[in-house]
Amino acid sequence: MTAEPRLLDETRLPRLEAWIADKAAAERVTVVDEGPLSGGAISLNLAVTLEIEGGAFAGRHEAVLRTGSASGVSASLGKAQEGMVLRAAFAAGALAPEPLFISDAAGGDDALLGAPFYIMRRARGVAAGRKVVKADQPQQELAREMGRQLGLIHSIKPGTAGLDFLSMPEPSPGLQCERDYRDWMGRFAGTDPVLAYGLRWLRLNAPPAGEVVLCHRDYRTGNYMVDQGRLTAIIDWEFAGWSDPMEDLAWFCAASWRFGQAGREAGGLSDRSDFYAGYEETAGRRVDQEAVAYWETAAYLRWAAVAIQQGMRHTSGTEPSIELALTGRMLPEIEQDLLRHLDSLAGRTLFGRTA
Amino acid sequence: MINDEPDARGLASIALQTFRDSVLPAVPAERRFEALMIANALGIAERELAAKPDAALEARIPQLCSDIDAGAYDAPERQADLRKVLWELTRARLAISNPRLLDPAKLGAA
Repeated sequence: MTAEPRLLDETRLPRLEAWIADKAAAERVTVVDEGPLSGGAISLNLAVTLEIEGGAFAGRHEAVLRTGSASGVSASLGKAQEGMVLRAAFAAGALAPEPLFISDAAGGDDALLGAPFYIMRRARGVAAGRKVVKADQPQQELAREMGRQLGLIHSIKPGTAGLDFLSMPEPSPGLQCERDYRDWMGRFAGTDPVLAYGLRWLRLNAPPAGEVVLCHRDYRTGNYMVDQGRLTAIIDWEFAGWSDPMEDLAWFCAASWRFGQAGREAGGLSDRSDFYAGYEETAGRRVDQEAVAYWETAAYLRWAAVAIQQGMRHTSGTEPSIELALTGRMLPEIEQDLLRHLDSLAGRTLFGRTA
Repeated sequence: MINDEPDARGLASIALQTFRDSVLPAVPAERRFEALMIANALGIAERELAAKPDAALEARIPQLCSDIDAGAYDAPERQADLRKVLWELTRARLAISNPRLLDPAKLGAA
C-alpha cells in the first residue's frame, strides 16, 4: 500500500500556524500533528494540538482539523459550511464540538490546505456503533439525552445568521427529498423496482408543508461520541439542512443504525418512548408519529441513495476502495428494511390517506 | 469457447477458503477489518457466480419501474400485490449480498 501524503507537510504546517495566529490574534502558534483519526468515508480528520501564545485563545487545545474534498455524495456540505452549521448548533446549546477556526473561501483560505477546512475542539469517547450500543440493559438515559439534544438542534430556524447557503425545500420537505433522492440515484431509480416503488410512495404520502428547522440529517448511533455511557459530542454535520423536524427522529430510529440491538428501536439504545420523551422536553413540539412513519420510509430511500453514490465513487474509478464497493452492495439489505417498514404501515392512515 | 477449469466460481471459492483458513488467522489486528472485507467481497462474488439469473424476469424490470412511476400500482390492493414481487426480487439479491440477513419471517412466503 502506498502511504497517503501528509496533509500538514513542511510547507503547509507553517502556513497553517501563521493563519491561526492571525485569526486568534496570537503571538505564536504551534500545531502538533497527531495523525489521522478514523472517520467517515468522506472526510479527513486529523488530531492536532494547538499551542497558542497570547490572544484570546492562549493555551493548549486538543483539537481536530477536518477537511476533505466535497467529492461523491451530493448532499454533503463543504467543510467551511459544515463549520458554520457547527457554530450555529454550538450557539444553540447543543453538544456539538466547538468550532475554533473556519476557513473563509472569500479570504483565499482554501489555498492553504487545498480545500475548505475547520478546526474544532476534540471530544473524548467512542463513536463506533457496536461499542456504543453494547450494554446489558437498555440505555434509557442516553436515549433521552439524544432526544433532548435533537430538540435543541431543532430550535435553529431559517434566517439564522451565517446559514444562508442552506437551501429551502420546495414545495415541501417530503417532495423535495423525493426529487433529491431520485436525482442522486441516477439510473438506479429506473432499474430497481423497490426504489421506484419507495419513491412513488414518498410522493403519494408526502405530509403537507409545515414547520422547517435545521436538521442534522445524519443523527444516528455512530455519529455521536460517548464516554462511560455519557454523550460527549454530536459529530458529522456534513448533511445538515432545512427540513421537517420529524426527519431526524425517523433517521435515528431506523433499523439501519441499531448495530445488532434490533429490539432497542431508538438507535440500538432503548425504546423510542425514551428518545421521544427527551425530545419533547426541549423541542417545544410533540412528536408526530405519522410524520415519523413517513420519514422512516424516506430514511431507507435516503440511505439507499447514499449507498449508491458511495458505490459509484468506487465503480466510476475515481476512488477505488473495497469499503465503498461493499457499501454499494448493501442495497438489498436497505431495501429489505424498507419493505418491512412499508408492510408494517399497510392499511394505516397517514395524513388522511391510506398508506 | 474452450472450457478452462476451474471456472470463475471455483476460483473465487477456493480463494475464499484459503484466505479464511490460512491467511485471516495470521492477519495483524490493524488489518483485520480490511481482511474481513476481502472475505466478504469474495463470498459475494462466489454466490453471484453460482446464481442462476431469471432472464425473462429481468427483461421485465425496466417496464415494471416505468409502470410504478406512472401510478399503475397506486391502488392499495395493487400495492400489496406489488410488494410480494418486490420481496421476491429483494430476497434473491440478498441471498447473494448478505444471506445471513434474510428475514426468517418471510421464508417460504415468496
